[in-house]
Amino acid sequence: MTALARYARLFAIQLRTSVLLALQYRVEFVVQAIMSVFWTATALVPLLALYDRRPSIAGWSRDEALIVVGFFTALKGVLEGAIQPSLGAVVEHVRKGTLDFVLLKPVDAQFLVSTSKLDVFKGVHVLTGLGVIGWALHALGRAPGPLAIATALTLFAVGALLLYSIHLLVVALAFKVVKVDNLSFLFSSAYDAARWPSSVFRGAFAIFFTFVLPLAVMTTFPALALLGRLPARSLALALGLGVAFGLASRAAFQRALGSYTSAGG
Amino acid sequence: MIRVRALRKHYQVHERPPGLAAALRSLLHRRYKTVAAVDGIDFDIAPGERVGFLGPNGAGKTTTLKMLAGLLHPTAGEASVLGFEPRRRDRELLRSIMLVTGQKQQLLWDLPPADTFELNRAIYDVPRAQFRRTLDELVHELDLGGLIEKPTRQLSLGERMKCELAAALVHGPKVLFLDEPTIGLDVTMQATVRRFVKAYNERTGATVILTSHYMEDVVALCPRVIVIDHGKLSWDGALDELVRGTRPEKRVALRLGAPASASQVAALGAKVIEHDDAHVVLQVEVAQLSGVLSRGLASLAVDDLTVEAAPLEDVLSDLFRRGRDERAARAEPAEPGA
Repeated sequence: MTALARYARLFAIQLRTSVLLALQYRVEFVVQAIMSVFWTATALVPLLALYDRRPSIAGWSRDEALIVVGFFTALKGVLEGAIQPSLGAVVEHVRKGTLDFVLLKPVDAQFLVSTSKLDVFKGVHVLTGLGVIGWALHALGRAPGPLAIATALTLFAVGALLLYSIHLLVVALAFKVVKVDNLSFLFSSAYDAARWPSSVFRGAFAIFFTFVLPLAVMTTFPALALLGRLPARSLALALGLGVAFGLASRAAFQRALGSYTSAGG
Repeated sequence: MIRVRALRKHYQVHERPPGLAAALRSLLHRRYKTVAAVDGIDFDIAPGERVGFLGPNGAGKTTTLKMLAGLLHPTAGEASVLGFEPRRRDRELLRSIMLVTGQKQQLLWDLPPADTFELNRAIYDVPRAQFRRTLDELVHELDLGGLIEKPTRQLSLGERMKCELAAALVHGPKVLFLDEPTIGLDVTMQATVRRFVKAYNERTGATVILTSHYMEDVVALCPRVIVIDHGKLSWDGALDELVRGTRPEKRVALRLGAPASASQVAALGAKVIEHDDAHVVLQVEVAQLSGVLSRGLASLAVDDLTVEAAPLEDVLSDLFRRGRDERAARAEPAEPGA
């Protein structure tokens, strides 16, 4: 408990530092807000165009698919606001050898690097995503119960954990390869597929996007939970994948720390 | 307090000859070479000591320092700091040590140093009252004044280094690793850093381990030096003994009131290092010293004279040359046809 309280306090300090940093650049917030709305609009265009002539695609109506887009946008906020800035900085730390200072601190190194840099303005995406979900639910005339909301939030957290774990696995590679920007870019492009309900993907793609790069778990599963259509085994699968990816990425990162060679001498 | 036994750090380095063909071949068949950065060294350091690690570039001194700080994992051997094995990164150990390096910085670039200090206070769980006290002392001793409120990116290199030192010391470490802390600083700032580190050691009893290419740092700070060359220990002891043992002769510098001829200088009976119209610098065996001095004072127009030990740079290059010769002598019989 005391350890948990200590880490919560440290997280608050890290967040404070990020907010201080963000406040150095006042215009950034306005730019990010405009970009978020613009970006969500561009994410909606292909969806709206596709549904223009069809009432449903792969069993999803337009407004149901909008919920997926909402989760996609919100999770993108987590990805760009919390995961990419911090873990991207690790690659720099490894290259410059400044990971020394992280490893010298009496705090779990994974925690410290994962919370070192938060782009708070990207939080706007989360708000936009929630707005899209609210709009879609209103259009559907549905009001999910507390259990459905709790399940969707849990799955959203699992989605964030999966995104984080996949990034951490990539970062663990950075200790060996050093230059992993391309892998990170590849992943960001692949994440774009998460804007579609997973049932549009068939065969090998469906398996790939559920187990290897579990995009389905990140955006489609929470949407299904809100719509009350998520089978219990899917929830179990999501939790299982979250735990498996979380543990595997931690093990890979710890192993990578052992092979850190510290640049410059 | 610090105990090192048969410590080794070996790296596998991929090597290939230059050229496209060799590059393509190395895709299929990689050749690796084992490089011994640190190759079996032993020493002990007592609490409160100030010890300098000396050695040429790539000798293994920073690698040793980083193994002691737990940043690098040894290939073999034993290292213990304050009773802990550094590679395990025990929280208790990490709360008691710190590394300051002239080439890397921990200060947050866009924020004032005060924010890094606050972050470190939280990370090290320093009680607020103690933090205030320590910070006040550091601000006073390092003359940080208004610096800690300015964004780090606006500080000069010297100002940044002083703030780096403060950031490293807010938790009161018992062991301080300094890796080239004065690199790139002007002479005044180098002297400030040296003075501060010495005073900090004397006031708190913290152990200081320093690597530096500036011999002035070592002379001013470290009564004891550990010389590492090609991963092996080539000297461990008092600095003045190292100088006496390696270069027992003295440097005699004479400032002349009137030019002296080459034959006059040669007649003094010592090795001439420099000679121009206004100066003569001689290298003199200790036993010959009084004779050379009296002959010089009698035969030349001497305005001023100084007698000093050989510069540390010369002492070290002698030591490293001897090491090189010994290695070459050992390697010779193994060479084909030799």
